Amino acid sequence: MPLKIKTDEIKVIIKYIHEISGISLDHSKAYLLETRLGHFLNEGDCSSYLDLYQKAKSDKKLEGKIIDAISTNETLFFRDKGPFDLLRNKIIPELIDARSAKIRGNIPIPIRIWSAACSTGQELYSIAILLKELLLDVKKYNLKLLGTDISDTAVSQASYGKFNKFEIERGLAKDKLAKFFSPDGVNWKIKDEIRVMANFKKFNLMFPFNGLGKFDIIFCRNVAIYFSLEDRKKIFNNISNALEKDGSLIIGSSEALTGICPKFEPKRHLNSIFYQLKQ
Amino acid sequence: MTDLKILVVEDDPVTLLLIKKKIISTDYEVETATNGEEAVNLISGNYYDVVLTDLMMPGDIDGIGVLEATKKLCSQTEVILITAYASVDNAVEAMQKGASDYIQKPINFDELLLRLDKIRGLKALIKDAVDLREAMDVTEKNAGHTIQDLELEISHLQKRISEIKKVLSMEDRDHPKRINIALAMLSAIENNLS
Repeated sequence: MPLKIKTDEIKVIIKYIHEISGISLDHSKAYLLETRLGHFLNEGDCSSYLDLYQKAKSDKKLEGKIIDAISTNETLFFRDKGPFDLLRNKIIPELIDARSAKIRGNIPIPIRIWSAACSTGQELYSIAILLKELLLDVKKYNLKLLGTDISDTAVSQASYGKFNKFEIERGLAKDKLAKFFSPDGVNWKIKDEIRVMANFKKFNLMFPFNGLGKFDIIFCRNVAIYFSLEDRKKIFNNISNALEKDGSLIIGSSEALTGICPKFEPKRHLNSIFYQLKQ
Repeated sequence: MTDLKILVVEDDPVTLLLIKKKIISTDYEVETATNGEEAVNLISGNYYDVVLTDLMMPGDIDGIGVLEATKKLCSQTEVILITAYASVDNAVEAMQKGASDYIQKPINFDELLLRLDKIRGLKALIKDAVDLREAMDVTEKNAGHTIQDLELEISHLQKRISEIKKVLSMEDRDHPKRINIALAMLSAIENNLS
């Protein structure tokens, strides 16, 4: 059994977790702290949660491990059919129309997509697979697919592109598995043609968005739900500034932006909604 | 607790009967096959939680063949290999190919039943996780529809409010006229909502 966390420790640890990850936990989540952080006490030779906090403040590696332990890495290939149908049938075709109208000559059409909390990469690789199938000749396009996540471990797994059978079995159709993955022992590895389309890097959504550039499409699904209302307002305002004027934002199917960011307007296509900036 | 359906594959009839008797005494459901071909036929047409197979068997399909066919046909099925002491290296190779465990001959039945118990526990946990995920998916889907409808409704109402505001501030029309138009617009919204 993990060591019980004391009431005065809960406050300190919750504040610390918010500082390093943006994740907002309330005081009723003591059990979550115990089950997810308890083992660090034994491993790191800490006598209490306060001790762990003191140690983690000056140990970046431990801080990374704490972020990994406390964050929920729930992700799968083609999670929710809706957004991918939306991408395939509406957003990408309209984007290509709009961009090719502006471009003269044989310059590749730029398409920039950001998966803002990519976890182990399933969402971005799903997008890459979709583009590969939809665009046929990807060389005609200047594709920039970026996946970012706060977790070092998640980002390196995403970059490596290796998935175990549980990760593969969820959401991925057999034809896509055969076409875009190669067996690697009991695991599966994404094929290089897809792998090279995607880039991954570590990024904390709570930090300023400097140096990321602008995007035509942003996926920010089921991450802001772990943040406080204030932080959600800040993040979606930053996202609005990182999105092209005619760009599209896709959030989780049970998320909403009412009362969070007035700059966005919801639009419906078939059974899904996406957001664009109010003109 | 979930009960397990087990297929035992063993070419030696005496060992096969012994394993079957032991496993049946624990309430698990057991079927048997005496060679690889028969096993693969059974696996193609039936679901088993566990396939317990001898590694060395005569014929075209040995234990590794049964393992490969099982993993191909139904990846959720756990495979335990029965090996002679001399073929432990092959067993390790089999684990790399997806076998979940191996036991050595002569079979220690307490050990075998412990391994099966562990698999039962694992299956129960996986079932719980799958059930929870399913519940989460259904909840999320339902909540998603409601939330998305509300988002669009609010966005629509915001536009109507702006239009009504515009009407009420039209300076080229007198007050009663403006109020009448605004009231008509409000009634339309009201009818739409009810």
